[in-house]
Amino acid sequence: MKIENTKAQMRKGVLEYCILSILNNGEAYPSEIIDQLKKAKLIVVEGTLYPLLTRLKNAEILSYRWEESTSGPPRKYYQLTSNGTDFLKELATTWDELVKAVELTGKQG
Amino acid sequence: MNQTVTVNISGIVFHIEVDAYDTLKNYLNKIKGYFNNSEEREEIMMDIEARIAELFTNMMGEKNQVITSVNVESVIETMGKPEDYITEEDEESQNQTEETKFRKDKKFFRDPDQRILGGVASGIGAYLGIDVIWTRLFFVLAFLIWGFGPLAYIILWIIIPEAKTASDKLKMKGEAVNVDNIGKTFEAEAKKVNEKLKSVNTSKIGQFLETFFNGLGQVLKAIFKVLGNVIGFAFIAIGVFLAIGFIAGLSGSDMILAITSEGIFSIESSDFFNLIFVSEDQFHLAVFGIILLIGIPIIAIIYGGVKMLFKIKTHYSVALSLTIFWIVGAAICTLVGIKMGAELSSDEKVVESVGIPNNYNSYNLVTNNDDIPGEGILDGQFSSISLDDEYIYQNDVRVNIYKSKLDSGYIKIIKYAHGESKKAAKFKAKSIEYNYHIDDSTINLNHYITTIKSHKIRGQHIRVQLYLPVGKSIYLSPSSYEVIYDIDNVTDTWDKEMIGKKWVMLDKGLTCVDCTDIEGTTSDKLKIRFPELYNTENEEPTIKK
Repeated sequence: MKIENTKAQMRKGVLEYCILSILNNGEAYPSEIIDQLKKAKLIVVEGTLYPLLTRLKNAEILSYRWEESTSGPPRKYYQLTSNGTDFLKELATTWDELVKAVELTGKQG
Repeated sequence: MNQTVTVNISGIVFHIEVDAYDTLKNYLNKIKGYFNNSEEREEIMMDIEARIAELFTNMMGEKNQVITSVNVESVIETMGKPEDYITEEDEESQNQTEETKFRKDKKFFRDPDQRILGGVASGIGAYLGIDVIWTRLFFVLAFLIWGFGPLAYIILWIIIPEAKTASDKLKMKGEAVNVDNIGKTFEAEAKKVNEKLKSVNTSKIGQFLETFFNGLGQVLKAIFKVLGNVIGFAFIAIGVFLAIGFIAGLSGSDMILAITSEGIFSIESSDFFNLIFVSEDQFHLAVFGIILLIGIPIIAIIYGGVKMLFKIKTHYSVALSLTIFWIVGAAICTLVGIKMGAELSSDEKVVESVGIPNNYNSYNLVTNNDDIPGEGILDGQFSSISLDDEYIYQNDVRVNIYKSKLDSGYIKIIKYAHGESKKAAKFKAKSIEYNYHIDDSTINLNHYITTIKSHKIRGQHIRVQLYLPVGKSIYLSPSSYEVIYDIDNVTDTWDKEMIGKKWVMLDKGLTCVDCTDIEGTTSDKLKIRFPELYNTENEEPTIKK
């Protein structure tokens, strides 16, 4: 297994969680989300984002509204639904468990 | 100069070079191809095209330029390669084929979460994909029908590794090991805990088997515990018993009872052993070696028993030093054994021959049964040893009677001895003193031999062979019971029944003359053949001059 594949897998695993966390702070459109992720040093390309956002929207975790833009086509501004907020809470718990598991397994070795 | 195509991306018009257009078109098609769900696909493609349009708009600025391949590549860089568009849901459908392949790479582990004893049955169940109840049932049946269950189970328990880490557990079940599945594993474990609290297993057979195996597991654990205690106690008891016997055996001046194949004999140990060992030092060394050789295993048994019974943990150095001392003892015994072996390595014999007067037809064999001189140190059924300051007296004398090929009879006295060399052995043999007399027709044999004390006990013994020509007879007096030993005779009569009777040497062997109770021989027959033996008056055989 190439190390790059593993790393990519790890990043994909947390991507959803990070996106929801970003949106928890306020609505944003895809490019903004990317920028925030970049600021947090989580490197993703936009291509990864769009399908994910769409699926989250279809699962009613996110919703969006259109906003006209001066520089180009209208933008989708995404925000968390109430389901989304719950979903985020559960992910947060799971995240803590994972962190602990990683710590403990690291100690055993 | 390049050809330009006019294209509409998300409702916005762009001029794009034809090469760039091809590249962009391929890119978008590829992305499309990664999405299986058409509903989502449409929406996602719209979002992507909108973003691409935005990027192009930013790049073009005011001058209404044409999009070049460079621009397209820059956009592709920003948006990401088509492979990056795949999310986990796509991956799952793609990985259908991968997973089935992975299942064949299942690794065989013991399942520690589903164990009752060692998780062997559950591990087998996971590997084969069958419910653990059936594998357990298999083991029980195997034991009841064939009896091989427990041993196989224990062997498997030792050989098969336990699935410790989450990845092991996943491998055991054959699932792909990645972040998702590890998360699933934890979810599953949380679920399991809940289920255990709720006791989900409703099927009757399942419930019964579960309680049965739980009970069985408890019983086995209890048995092993008790067994450990019992073994511990047994070890202590055996060890103490052996120790008592051994110590009793060692205390020199007491009489000890030792049972050998010849009967019961008792010895005064140190005197006796001094006659065997070359020197007192060697004797003491041998004793020390034996104490180590036999005593240490006894101590070890008691020690092991105490450890087991009282569950005491001791440092390994105890066992180590015991072993070392035992080895020392073994080495000493071996060395002494080798030395003693050398002492006995050669054996020689010396033969003395003396004729018996020929003018008699009948002889008497008698033995002087006076007390053997010296103080007894070994008193057995067949032989005894006594000694005084200078000599050892052993009453190991045996007489046998053979047919003489000559016209006259004779006695052969063969003296045997062992020694450290042929010369020494011969010397010791020669030094054996044995007394006997021949007075007319009476042969008087001594019932013991005398050897020099300093020659020690080196297997000195003698054999007396009496050769009788055919036609001559001999009367075995009752006094001779001690020295005669397995004398060949025609009727296979036992020694003790031969004494007090007269025996004649015939062609076929030594035959009884006056045994009225022995089959196959009548006085009539003998009368015919050897009339000179009989006195016609009283029909009793007499000595004729």
